[in-house]
Amino acid sequence: MYCTGYSKKCGTSLLKTVKVNTIEGDNVFIGIDVGGTYTDAVLTDGKSILRKHKTLTGHDNLLPSLLEALDAMIEGQDISLIQRVVLSTTLITNIIAERKYPPVALILVPGPGLNHGEYKYNTLTHIVSGAIDYRGREAVPVGRGEVSRAGEDIVKKGFKHVAVVGKFSGRNNAHEVLIKQILESEKPGLTVEMGHTVSGQLNFPRRIATTLLTCATREAFSGFVKSVIKSLAERGLRAPAFMLKADGGTLPLETALKRPVETIFSGPAASTLGALSLSPKGQTSVVVDIGGTTTDLALILSGEPLLAARGAKVEEFLTHVKSFAVKSIPLGGDSTVVVREGQIRILPERQGPAFCMGGKAPTLTDALVYLRKAEIGDREKAIEIMEKLAGETGRNSRDTAGEIVTMACQTIVSAIEQMFINWEQEPAYRIWEIMQKTKIRPNNIVGIGGAAGGIIPDVARQMNCTAIIPEHAEVANALGAAVAQPTVTISLRVDTERGRFTVAEDGSTGAVPQGRLFREEDAIKLARERLFHLAEELKIKDYVKKTEVVHCEVFNMVREWTTTGKIYDISIQTPRDILFYLGQEETVDD
Amino acid sequence: MIKSDKTGLVFFPAFDWAITPTHPERQERLLYTRDQIFEEGLMDLPRIREYKPRLATFKDICRTHFCVPGVKDQVTHAHLIAAGGALVIADALMAGEIRNGFALVRPPGHHAMRVVHGNRGFCSINNEAVMVDYLRKKYGLKKIAIIDTDVHHGDGTQDIFYHDPDILVISFHQDGRTLYPGSGFTNEAGGPTAYGRTLNVPLPPGTTDEGIHYVLEKLILPVLDDFKPELVVNSAGQDNHFTDPLANMKVTAQGYARLNEKLKPDIAVLEGGYAIETALPYVNTGIILAMAGMDYSNVVEPDYSPEKFILSREKKEWIEKVVAELTAVWERRDAIDIEVLRAKSEYFQRQKTIFYDTDGINEYQTEKFRLCPECGGYLAISSQAYHYNGIQHNILALSIPFNGCHECREEAYAEYETGIGRKIYDYVYFQDRVSDTYRGYSREKDREWEE
Ligand SMILES: [Zn+2]
Ligand SMILES: [Zn+2]
Ligand SMILES: [Zn+2]
Repeated sequence: MYCTGYSKKCGTSLLKTVKVNTIEGDNVFIGIDVGGTYTDAVLTDGKSILRKHKTLTGHDNLLPSLLEALDAMIEGQDISLIQRVVLSTTLITNIIAERKYPPVALILVPGPGLNHGEYKYNTLTHIVSGAIDYRGREAVPVGRGEVSRAGEDIVKKGFKHVAVVGKFSGRNNAHEVLIKQILESEKPGLTVEMGHTVSGQLNFPRRIATTLLTCATREAFSGFVKSVIKSLAERGLRAPAFMLKADGGTLPLETALKRPVETIFSGPAASTLGALSLSPKGQTSVVVDIGGTTTDLALILSGEPLLAARGAKVEEFLTHVKSFAVKSIPLGGDSTVVVREGQIRILPERQGPAFCMGGKAPTLTDALVYLRKAEIGDREKAIEIMEKLAGETGRNSRDTAGEIVTMACQTIVSAIEQMFINWEQEPAYRIWEIMQKTKIRPNNIVGIGGAAGGIIPDVARQMNCTAIIPEHAEVANALGAAVAQPTVTISLRVDTERGRFTVAEDGSTGAVPQGRLFREEDAIKLARERLFHLAEELKIKDYVKKTEVVHCEVFNMVREWTTTGKIYDISIQTPRDILFYLGQEETVDD
Repeated sequence: MIKSDKTGLVFFPAFDWAITPTHPERQERLLYTRDQIFEEGLMDLPRIREYKPRLATFKDICRTHFCVPGVKDQVTHAHLIAAGGALVIADALMAGEIRNGFALVRPPGHHAMRVVHGNRGFCSINNEAVMVDYLRKKYGLKKIAIIDTDVHHGDGTQDIFYHDPDILVISFHQDGRTLYPGSGFTNEAGGPTAYGRTLNVPLPPGTTDEGIHYVLEKLILPVLDDFKPELVVNSAGQDNHFTDPLANMKVTAQGYARLNEKLKPDIAVLEGGYAIETALPYVNTGIILAMAGMDYSNVVEPDYSPEKFILSREKKEWIEKVVAELTAVWERRDAIDIEVLRAKSEYFQRQKTIFYDTDGINEYQTEKFRLCPECGGYLAISSQAYHYNGIQHNILALSIPFNGCHECREEAYAEYETGIGRKIYDYVYFQDRVSDTYRGYSREKDREWEE
């Protein structure tokens, strides 16, 4: 028997490592997810799960939970066989949510456009003159005197960190670079973060927020990463170690330091990738992760997890951080059930554990336990509370419990439907995108979380899908980390009239031949080169085998009826695939 | 309607559609506008709600146009999406999800007339007219005003609503003697049953913000006050801009933004504007902010300086004279006695010749309009089109107004059937907006169809 976090059989400590197998000479992989509530770990050889571990996360210091999980994986294990270790943590999420970061001042160069009063980031903000236009041409030079005065004020007010962000800095970073130079020469104690190195993607306000958060979290993140590196070395682990990002890609620990904010929300990415690894390859599935108070939904479209159309919202900040499109609904095993005017209602709140687990109020879990759709806690208690509810509904306790479960299913089904509708309604700017996005509906509903077994088969039946309740689902997050791979994306803009190119992801820029000599093939070749260049900088070049062109647009630049140049917008990436599929070992199909 | 504080936005730059690779109406047209509004983060503003465009249906097109031979011969997906973008905004407005909305779409439409033999002035399908007719059919709206702020005369929109007293069409534009399409003079003021419901304001080349705001304040806003439309549409061209390569006016991004702030259109639909770098990124940002009720004073072109934009005394006087003349037309709008006209003839007739610059077609049209005492009266159009490549199409088209009476429908249908029997017509069309059915007949195939 396996131990699951949900099952009472393991006792309340959850602290049990299950060794399924011993290893005989095969390469193995470790994935660890230090989540908000649980820390999961798996050791796998790519065919099956060899060990798994689940424990409660110690909140104030994540490192002990991580190391405990790591030790459980490597104890008695030939560590020379470990190929890699991938970590997913809530560190950045916690730092930002709890505002445990040093104050960061802003120097902005917005130029013409939105009223400058719109740039409200709740911190000392200096706006200096200067403007770059959409093609990266300087329209107004930087006000050097203003920069010096801003630096003076920032230091006087006790700030040690400054984020410098200009509108269109992704198209021309000269202003940001100049401001950094001025500040560093005049105020050597300041740490300066430039917007274009964080994200050159269009959207100035999001670039400001992302740069601010990067600047704010870098120190704490770096401290954590250094202790992890030290701990790995102490254990003689020489396998490369990676951090999982919100978009499901991974970065080596050392290079993750450059982009700490991208590791935020790696938990939902981990659970989606884990579910992907546990379900049939290449199909369209909905991952339903039913927790205590919320249920997270994620979409896998033809084998690829769906990324959110826009960057993630981090606390009050809209950012450029790419993440999976995860929808959270306020429904979970611990959701409280009430009867009002004879009508059953599932409240979007938790009042404590399930009645059968020693709680005070009836919950969805109690209904599942009553119906023998879940085995947890004391069934006698579940019967007791369902009978009490039945007294209020005027129906028998079986029907009452049945209706609670039906309602929970319907909530999930309509949330899934809505998620597909939202996906279909995402803005599209090209004819082919509008023509192509036809109705797609899932093949599978993959259920994760303790209550999944009791609910997902009904959800799947209503949606005409196959229900998949994978074995090892309780450590899906850790498995997701284990199977995640480094990914690189490059968004290249080439302007042959100006003879310049810029890369949104790393703010790099350079020259191209002007005029007609530079053709589409050359632009794609350049995009590939830039991708390999970035991969090398991120120390993941060995993982880049194939690249795929996501989109390539060519704009003829016509001035007074003659073609004066071309603009190429090209996006290429490494294939977004996971390391291996364990397939589903158990399919509930009723 | 539910109160919303949001401004709806459909952005459809059609990055994969062009008339020809070097044509002003090409992929590049909204590229820098896209860059600007995305970099500004406008789509993230709490007051902005972005919508995805949809495809208008063939029926939506047939409610407004007679496409020859059929809809599929005149429209591409891009046209259906541009018109569909306007419909998405219309639906969102009627559902109360938004307070106002802007369909920032291409290809444009205001030169497309009721009968469509091809593309003229970069337009095939009149996006605003399709949207207005959709609003009338689906939501029962009656009185709608269309204000055409493009530098070119909105001759297509004028043609479509010329006999319709419920739709007010006001276009200001650079004087037709100096600019395409060469029409839009003050004497084009609507048919006998809709006199004054078409108003044309020809402006001297070099007209500035001051000039168009004079027209807005002294003519357009007072006329709207009198007309009391249920909905105001801005046919929002941006080629009055001082840098536009196809025209000679001197309006700025500030001028356009302030115009939208004062006009308060419920819906704006993008029309022309070909200064794709120097004007469009700024003008569109300004219009979006103005419609969202936000401060747009910082939206200025890099080469803007106010002293360049002084309106001369002479031009000011021209504009004052035109406004005075049109005010008089508006005051006489109900002076025509239809019964006197009817006593002479039950039908009003006029001849038109239409040139399709993009596709090289000459069209000769006879419009026969029934002066019906009951309803708006049906319209019979016979039209011969001579394409540059020798193709000729001779058609008869019958159009029933939304409130068409029984007699008009019977008579028009009889005329449709007679038309089918007459060998001179290659195609015969029947547009019955009462029952929302649209039929056509092809002589070559000897077959009728319905959209
Ligand atoms: Zn006009
Ligand atoms: Zn125009
Ligand atoms: Zn009639």
